[in-house]
Amino acid sequence: MSPTIGTTGHALAVEPETGKRKLSTAKAIQEAIAQQMRSDESVFVMGEDVGPYGGIFSSTTGLIDEFGPTRIIDTPISETAFIGLGIGAAVEGMRPVVELMFADFFGVCMDQIYNHMAKIHYESGGNVQVPMVLMMATGGGYSDGAQHSQSLWGTFAHLPGMKVVVPSNPYDAKGLMTAAIRSNDPVVYMFHKGGMGLGWMKKNKHSIGAVPEEPYEVPIGRARVVREGTDVTIVTLALSVSHSLDVAEKLEQEGISVEVIDLRSLVPLDREAIIASVAKTGRLIVVDEDYQSFGLSGEVIASVAERKPELLKHVSRVCVPDVPLPYASQLEYAVLPTPARIEAAIREAIA
Amino acid sequence: MSEVIFPQMSAAADATGVIVTWFVESGDEVTPSTLIAEVAVDKVDAEIYPESSGIITLLVAEEAEVPQGSVIATVA
Repeated sequence: MSPTIGTTGHALAVEPETGKRKLSTAKAIQEAIAQQMRSDESVFVMGEDVGPYGGIFSSTTGLIDEFGPTRIIDTPISETAFIGLGIGAAVEGMRPVVELMFADFFGVCMDQIYNHMAKIHYESGGNVQVPMVLMMATGGGYSDGAQHSQSLWGTFAHLPGMKVVVPSNPYDAKGLMTAAIRSNDPVVYMFHKGGMGLGWMKKNKHSIGAVPEEPYEVPIGRARVVREGTDVTIVTLALSVSHSLDVAEKLEQEGISVEVIDLRSLVPLDREAIIASVAKTGRLIVVDEDYQSFGLSGEVIASVAERKPELLKHVSRVCVPDVPLPYASQLEYAVLPTPARIEAAIREAIA
Repeated sequence: MSEVIFPQMSAAADATGVIVTWFVESGDEVTPSTLIAEVAVDKVDAEIYPESSGIITLLVAEEAEVPQGSVIATVA
């Protein structure tokens, strides 16, 4: 991996080799937060059940034992209040990591998020910074119903003023959390529940992986080619990266060569990486667990269509059709971007 | 050689636990600071670290149910 310019102005961020030690995505996030808390007293965590419970998806397990209740703060169920508290603390020079729990809950506190967290820097003419991380859980696939299964990253990415990152594996989860905490901008950090490596979720081999022990940054705004190929490009993120890699591996045995790009960040969006891949394959499939219309998948396609339309021999999307996520498992899996739907889209693209 | 024991996490004598995740494979080199496994009893998780350094051999498959106190790996 090559050295890259950091997003924060201080140390040059270098993506280190992965090494051998393995962690789950949840433990990688927890380690990133713990390391930044040890090196910077202004970092603290706040949210519902982040303390003794350890985060309902285990992203803050054990932090209260090391840092105590003044730096790991359990809040009441009052998102507007504690997100506003985080914004105020950030404005005053702290570096809060605030957990919204499910992305689906943003509705009650959106004014704090998009009118304050996202706009203070702009409205103050750059004089006031909001170095805050807003962490939340996304994604479905485990029958949690329409109000606990949404991805919604397109909604946050649509509104200017926030960086938006979505890791798909333990290595990126740690590096993006480290970069998010060190960033002087508000960063929305969205992890997929199915990629955390939790025992009570469906097993996913990509949710356990090698993670360097030292602190490091994965640069925000930089996609990664996670698998090289020549026939078709899949641009994707989060749990859909795992599904796309599994399908690509399967189709390789038939001589179909699939390139898989993990966006890792929505804002800034690495449009160059998308165009470079489509220049090679000419065929673009966007796999996105967010709703299909008015979102990330259209933006990715527009990135190519506006700049290099002549590259495109084929374009398609594998997304959630514009319906709420069903509770019934069979219905839910009929709308999720499953490996079967991804495989069908690839076969259609190269037919 | 040292044995890695599934911890006593429940007061119930006949309680069984499950290996949630192996973070290492047989043949890997481990030290007392290597996270080797996450285990669970009744949805309560625990992290497992070996007592000594050496080459680990796993004796139980991931997701297998085992009695508390049983040997799940050896380090030699």
